[in-house]
Amino acid sequence: MTLLAHAIAPAPRPSLDAEGLRGRQLNWSEAGDIGLWSTDWDPAEKLDRGDALEHHRLVERICAAQPCLPVRFGTAFATDDAARASLESRAQALRAALDRVAGKSELAVTLLWTNNPGGAARRPPDEGVGPGRRFMEERRARYLARDTRRARAVELVECLIAGLSVERALVWHDICTGESVAVSLAVLVPSERAAARKTELERLASGFDDVTGVVNGPWPPYSFARVD
Amino acid sequence: MRELTPADASLLELVDRLLHKGVVLAGEATISVAGVDLIYLGLNVVLAAVETLESRNGGPGGGSPRRS
Repeated sequence: MTLLAHAIAPAPRPSLDAEGLRGRQLNWSEAGDIGLWSTDWDPAEKLDRGDALEHHRLVERICAAQPCLPVRFGTAFATDDAARASLESRAQALRAALDRVAGKSELAVTLLWTNNPGGAARRPPDEGVGPGRRFMEERRARYLARDTRRARAVELVECLIAGLSVERALVWHDICTGESVAVSLAVLVPSERAAARKTELERLASGFDDVTGVVNGPWPPYSFARVD
Repeated sequence: MRELTPADASLLELVDRLLHKGVVLAGEATISVAGVDLIYLGLNVVLAAVETLESRNGGPGGGSPRRS
């Protein structure tokens, strides 16, 4: 039996009325002034979509009760001792990360292309050109379209950051992660102001002609739980 | 290939965070990778099914399922 990890939180263990995955007991492994929430898990059991969403809901409950760092889904420890040893080995960095996210939640915005900003650069090749030239022209048009998209995505990120008036350290983003996706951006906001900030983000995200904005959250600070 | 809908995007953003973000701890094991893949597979199957339906109806479907 292993321990399937959910979240790291400050010790001592708070009172938390919650079960682990699939109705199992929720465990607490404590090391110094931090601890790990986990569920007993047989490694032969397959994790599925329901388990992932249940893990998400459980992490949400933990984060509502105390500062917490979500652990990447699917992480397991062989024993309680192994879990505590892992915490101890990075205790200082984990405490710093907990301080960074305490009292904060993550909002996420995805901007989806509603048209192809590089499309105007594409034109059908001339009938009279040979295959070599046609290949080169098509490739040039493809690269131009890609570069146009990326440049526009960077502009969109800058507009969102400026509109939100937040420090860049509180923003994570990526651009052009798929054919449809222009921007994926997360921002860390005070939990008590999350609803108001979400409204602001929805307003900002709806102000562009060439993308559709999808705003999610508030949810646990997944994108800000990195430990250096 | 159909466009991502806002609902698809929301699910993908959440799954991306569960699987690719969060604390990575030393000395851990990642269990049941095949099961984790099923989470993505589940969404891809949905997308593929929609494409197939659109193709049969003469809509804008077609192409292989992918994330976006």
